[in-house]
Amino acid sequence: MYLVFTTNDFPWLTIIVVFPISAGSLMLFLPHRGNKVNKWYTICICILELLLTTYAFCYNFKLDDPLIQLSEDYKWINFFDFYWRLGIDGLSIGTILLTGFITTLATLAAFPVTRDSRLFYFLMLAMYSGQIGSFSSRDILLFFIMWELELIPVYLLLSMWGGKKRLYSATKFILYTAGSSIFLLIGVLGISLYGSNEPTLNLELLANQVYPVTLEILFYIGFLIAFAVKSPIIPLHTWLPDTHGEAHYSTCMLLAGILLKMGAYGLVRINMELLPHAHSMFSPWLMVVGTIQIIYAASTSPGQRNLKKRIAYSSVSHMGFIIIGIGSITDPGLNGAILQIISHGFIGAALFFLAGTSYDRIRLVYLDEMGGMAISIPKIFTMFTILSMASLALPGMSGFIAELIVFFGIITSQKYFLISKILIIFVMAIGMILTPIYLLSMSRQMFYGYKLINAKNFSFFDSGPRELFLSISILLPIIGIGIYPDFVLSLASDKVESILSNYFYG
Amino acid sequence: MEHTYQYSWIIPFIPLPVPILLGAGLLLFPTATKNLRRMWTFLSIFLLSIVMIFSLYLSIQQIFISCIHQNVWSWTINNEFSFEFGYFIDPLTSIMSILITTVGILVLIYSDNYMSHDQGYLRFFAYMGFFNTSMLGLVTSSNLIQVYFFWELVGMCSYLLIGFWFTRPIAANACQKAFVTNRVGDFGLLLGILGLYWITGSFEFQDLFEIFNNLILNNRINLLFLTLCAFLLFVGPIAKSAQFPLHVWLPDAMEGPTPISALIHAATMVAAGIFLVARLLPLFIVIPSIMYIISLIGIITVLLGATLALAQKDIKRGLAYSTMSQLGYMMLALGMGSYRSALFHLITHAYSKALLFLGSGSIIHSMEAIVGYSPDKSQNMILMGGLTKHVPITKTAFLVGTLSLCGIPPLACFWSKDEILNDSLLFSPIFAIIACSTAGLTAFYMFRIYLLTFEGHLNTYFINYSGKKSRSFYSISLWGKEEDNKLNRNFGLVPLLTMNNTKRASFFGNKTYKISNNVRNQTFITVENFGLNTRTFYYPHESDNTILFPMLVLLLFTLFIGAIGIPFNQEGIDFDILSKLLTPSINLLHTNSENFVDWYEFLKNAIFSVSIALFGIFIAYCLYKPFYSSKLNLTLLNSFQKWSSKRIRWEKPINFVYNWSYNRGYIDTFFKKSLTESIRKLAKQTNFFDKRIIDGITNGVGITSFFVGEVTKYIGGSRISSYLFLYLCYVLIFLMILFFFYFEKF
Repeated sequence: MYLVFTTNDFPWLTIIVVFPISAGSLMLFLPHRGNKVNKWYTICICILELLLTTYAFCYNFKLDDPLIQLSEDYKWINFFDFYWRLGIDGLSIGTILLTGFITTLATLAAFPVTRDSRLFYFLMLAMYSGQIGSFSSRDILLFFIMWELELIPVYLLLSMWGGKKRLYSATKFILYTAGSSIFLLIGVLGISLYGSNEPTLNLELLANQVYPVTLEILFYIGFLIAFAVKSPIIPLHTWLPDTHGEAHYSTCMLLAGILLKMGAYGLVRINMELLPHAHSMFSPWLMVVGTIQIIYAASTSPGQRNLKKRIAYSSVSHMGFIIIGIGSITDPGLNGAILQIISHGFIGAALFFLAGTSYDRIRLVYLDEMGGMAISIPKIFTMFTILSMASLALPGMSGFIAELIVFFGIITSQKYFLISKILIIFVMAIGMILTPIYLLSMSRQMFYGYKLINAKNFSFFDSGPRELFLSISILLPIIGIGIYPDFVLSLASDKVESILSNYFYG
Repeated sequence: MEHTYQYSWIIPFIPLPVPILLGAGLLLFPTATKNLRRMWTFLSIFLLSIVMIFSLYLSIQQIFISCIHQNVWSWTINNEFSFEFGYFIDPLTSIMSILITTVGILVLIYSDNYMSHDQGYLRFFAYMGFFNTSMLGLVTSSNLIQVYFFWELVGMCSYLLIGFWFTRPIAANACQKAFVTNRVGDFGLLLGILGLYWITGSFEFQDLFEIFNNLILNNRINLLFLTLCAFLLFVGPIAKSAQFPLHVWLPDAMEGPTPISALIHAATMVAAGIFLVARLLPLFIVIPSIMYIISLIGIITVLLGATLALAQKDIKRGLAYSTMSQLGYMMLALGMGSYRSALFHLITHAYSKALLFLGSGSIIHSMEAIVGYSPDKSQNMILMGGLTKHVPITKTAFLVGTLSLCGIPPLACFWSKDEILNDSLLFSPIFAIIACSTAGLTAFYMFRIYLLTFEGHLNTYFINYSGKKSRSFYSISLWGKEEDNKLNRNFGLVPLLTMNNTKRASFFGNKTYKISNNVRNQTFITVENFGLNTRTFYYPHESDNTILFPMLVLLLFTLFIGAIGIPFNQEGIDFDILSKLLTPSINLLHTNSENFVDWYEFLKNAIFSVSIALFGIFIAYCLYKPFYSSKLNLTLLNSFQKWSSKRIRWEKPINFVYNWSYNRGYIDTFFKKSLTESIRKLAKQTNFFDKRIIDGITNGVGITSFFVGEVTKYIGGSRISSYLFLYLCYVLIFLMILFFFYFEKF
């Protein structure tokens, strides 16, 4: 048995992908003794999964190798060459670890959920599997299937545990994402059926394929729409504020922390890797859209009364940096985009968590009704201040270094003229001024000043050990990356180079 | 010797353990951390003194062998881009670090007492420790990215400390304003850094200067773009050092605790802008237009700060505007290229202003007991007066600080200001006239503050206990006129208390501060307590020794720090420490001719500037000398009366200046009207756009599909006849099309 574990043939990734959902379905057989059993069972599974992932990656993943590692290849459906093909590289390892980390913390954050807790936790675990699956699949159809698999739990989580308008927002979410999935499916089928009689679904083979320009552009547009909804890119972003405004905060953590990143991941994985010519054609537009998005979302955000919607717009604004980084087609730009994926995963999740916990206490979502909470909940106040600082890219935190590297990517880019670069950088930097306006005014409206809230529920509890642990454990990687960014940069840098080599020599 | 330099990377990290431990302790083990209380203060003072000794040692070595020491480590390793971290020790760094640590230690000692009754005592020390770390990091940074890194961190510390008393809505607004204004500066700084990187491909100071000079010499770069980058770089210092268009945050920043105003908003952080310009002077100096812009902004700030300080009634605001004006002097000096005098003024001003702020803190501390814990009351100079009798030591210290700032000879600021005025005379006559007249204004407003605070009788006492004399209270209005001031008409005790309800409640109620269910209720309790306590707090008291000690040390500094810049004639060679330190640096105006000091010239200028200052003091004395003072100078009063009969003619300009100053030059209003409102409007409009148009399309599609579904449902209606009808219709259409094509083919 020991020998099996040490060899490379051991199907690590399959176990990692399948373990949460299968363990989750075992939850049905647990003795029905209330929430507590389910709760602890789920958290144990999540931690076990995270440890398993870390162990597998620690011992079997080599950082200096830009190729696919831990790859597995099992024939699944003979009829059209469909393989269960998994594998990770520098691009996906970071997001998989992020998924494990955030999902574990989100289950911990979901402790107060009591309604239908068994189903809730099962859905969390199913989502866990779906996300890791889509990040680690090396087969384009498998990617699509995993992508869809993870939509169903999100829809259910939204429509069953949420605010008053949850059905509206859940419907909006599912229509948007399912609608975009059609384009994804079209793209997947088109790209796999091109050129040969047998469908090629393997991503490695597809990466070397060359298409006619118009066809490539068509594919590119299809994939772009699919990922633009998920990412979100304006003007396809309106599902996001509604969804985040209504969802339970543990769902919000998953949405902001991981789900949005899937769009960006897809953009790199499929649009950049498979369709390099179209990407270099579209990249100026991506930059323009990203710049507009930063300004647009940052100026929409102060107009929001709802606390969660304001944070949601802030994450839309921060996703703009990722899009710009991807569009810049430079080494620093892409590295910055990947770093921003990870960094915003932490920051966004943490901000939603804190907003949710403070909502749990005062039961008010509108910012103009709040005020003076700093006295009663100083710890949440402290954490919120630190994290809004992280979100507005204070140096020493991960957001700063990511944005700086993206800025760098634009500067060093050979592709664009000086004037256009100056313009883009200038507008992006205006976003840098707008960000503190909405974030700090949010924390001012929530915490500063004094206000007599209804006398009966005036005394709140400050965050207990669970919440404190949660927010600190998100905070530590943020500061860690901010101080020593090579933690994350070293994971992806080789892969980034190999992706970009297509653009310079191909 | 070499090895001491090697270890100097540790400078910023020495004070770091305190904020980290305190932060972790306050979050995780609050009670245990709070029990240690003063231990933390001792620890932070101890660590900061280590840094002080270290930097003193370094600068002594710098005096003997002036050299630049630099060491870098890579921060991110990548093929395409690499950032580095390191330290850069040169005379500028060592001067700044000595300044930061000395003022820092004194302010820490001071705030131990000043903040002792505050609930956020430990939080305060955590912030302070973090500020010291990042400020030391800023001055030791070796490249621009590192400068930006710490630049933002000190901005954040300033944000946190301005908003320290977060229950005050004014403080909440002020800290946000400070952060956003500073962010505007950071925006420029970042763009400038990126632009310079694009031009030169480097962040390191030395490489940057070298490449830059080469480019200029060979004329290989668009000068306009270069100037733009340099200007953007300069926007950072504009915001941080409160120069003209972006100065609005500094007076509001006085909402923070007074030790903070002394350390951050007078001595160190606001000097960071001066530091950065001084550091990048080799870069700016090759572009004459940018030097001109720097000096222009400097001179505007000098004048603006001085005029705005004229009519402030808040003692700290008045000092803040004076800080702004003095920073303008430094910027002016840098713009003129006289590096040495700018730094000299930076040092002398830091000590004098820290002394003044600590003195005002001591006054506020003693006034708070009488008038209440609201900044509107305890910092209001109208309510002060006649404090000489009650707080003699503070008075002496404050007087020395005031005199120093006015530029009266033996004190620190005289030497440096004189030098700047001197240089401005060489630079441009218009600037010299403005700078000199502003020196007079400085003397005027500083003495106005001093006279209002310390001379005469205690005004609060006057109103409350001798109602008949309340006329005389109005007679000493701010502008020396009778009817100008209408505030505080119903000046009883109870409205005073009910008007504010945040911090003040704590002192008379309990030591610990917390909002209970009903603040109004608590206020009433306080009123009762106050009634009991009035007799005991009859007059303000002198503060404790821990408050007085740092002031006395700063007093000594103010007296003697001028000595480092005074040229001593020693065995035929000029010996002055500052020049010795700054020899390798550039000096535009004194290129070679003035190796010897022209004593005659010096004396002439000194007499001129001192006479201007004395004139300012005289006018202030005329206007603000209390009328009811026992030693009333009759002749003076008579002349004053004579003059005042002609005053109607003067009414208008005086009123104009008063309004201008009282309304802060309308600049705040302008910013509020133009920027804040427009951003709000923009937010509303984009929100509308987002909700109605982008989301509206989505919802519209949803609703239309719903209606289409309904319509088809209605049409369908499960009636076979209609199905058949539709079916036949479609078949007919299909046939028609087919027929049409068929027909066309043949």
